[in-house]
Amino acid sequence: MALTLRNGCLEMLRTCRRVNSRNVNIPVLNQMGILSPALLRHRSSQRIKLPLSYVPPTSLSRPPWPELQSISRDEQERQHQAVVETVNNLLEKEAYGRLFAVVHFASRQWKVTNEDLILIENHIDAECGDRIRLEKVLLVGGEEFTLIGRPLLGCDLVRVEATVIEKTESWPKVHMRFWKRHRFQKKRIIVQPQTVLRVNTIEVAPRLT
Amino acid sequence: MVFLTLSCWIRNRGPDRYWKVQEVLSHARHFRGRKSRCYSLAVRAVRRAFVYATKARRLKRRNMRTLWISRIAAASREHGMKYPVLIHNLVKSSVEVNRRVLSDLAITEPKSFLSLAKLARARQQEGFGVALGDRKEPPGVFSRIVTLQ
Repeated sequence: MALTLRNGCLEMLRTCRRVNSRNVNIPVLNQMGILSPALLRHRSSQRIKLPLSYVPPTSLSRPPWPELQSISRDEQERQHQAVVETVNNLLEKEAYGRLFAVVHFASRQWKVTNEDLILIENHIDAECGDRIRLEKVLLVGGEEFTLIGRPLLGCDLVRVEATVIEKTESWPKVHMRFWKRHRFQKKRIIVQPQTVLRVNTIEVAPRLT
Repeated sequence: MVFLTLSCWIRNRGPDRYWKVQEVLSHARHFRGRKSRCYSLAVRAVRRAFVYATKARRLKRRNMRTLWISRIAAASREHGMKYPVLIHNLVKSSVEVNRRVLSDLAITEPKSFLSLAKLARARQQEGFGVALGDRKEPPGVFSRIVTLQ
């Protein structure tokens, strides 16, 4: 009860203050002495003066992404040319350390460097000892640069070669299906052919355009 | 030298049941309790194990994919981007590196991953630029954002 009374009193005080601020003199209030500083201590913080055309910051007041800095076309072209030139210089000097490549082969993607062994869960159309070229190169990276294909890199740009080392079979995997209370049970043993490849070389030609 | 041929041949004359039982028990030898010794218990346990192994080969692929995705998400947050933003913009710029390789790159080749993230960021900015156009309202449309600016 006391709480509500006090809240009501505060509310009244606020209205008094508002009325006072409009320079309207009400002598009764002054006589009552309500505006003593001890009571006014509970007032909320001071009003913030806002400009007339103020829009509150909501999701609609401005777009949710940061401001874009627009670069002119010529400037962009110049930057691209500079990057291409530096990478071509690096490629000519062969100052890229050990290269790695992401190759799409046997319907999956492999991140390989030279002298890697990769195991493929299928047979391929090449004999043991044959040297094959992996043509779908998605990405090549060196120490200072990365060439990203969209989606593939050109055949004359990158050359990834591998040798077929071994053709074997996987260990027998049991494929079993079972339905309880339905007299249903199937058991099959699956053996897949496997191929092991050795990645020999990854070469990049300085023909970046 | 141990000659197993003779003993095997002697066993072989008998009924096939012995070999059938041994085949099942050989899969159950590492099980716990009587399942590893008693045939009638071992059969059920082995069957259960085979069914689990079959299903797990599918589940493994699914779980690995979620693992890769969470790794890429963590790595892309390092470069101030969320996972969907990165993947969406890489797809838009027709980079078809899959999630497995992306997570590998994030772990072992942070520079390459950074360049991919920069590519995605550039594509995003380009998209925003095209969507905003010349910052004028199309004829007949009053958008609140544009008018407030």
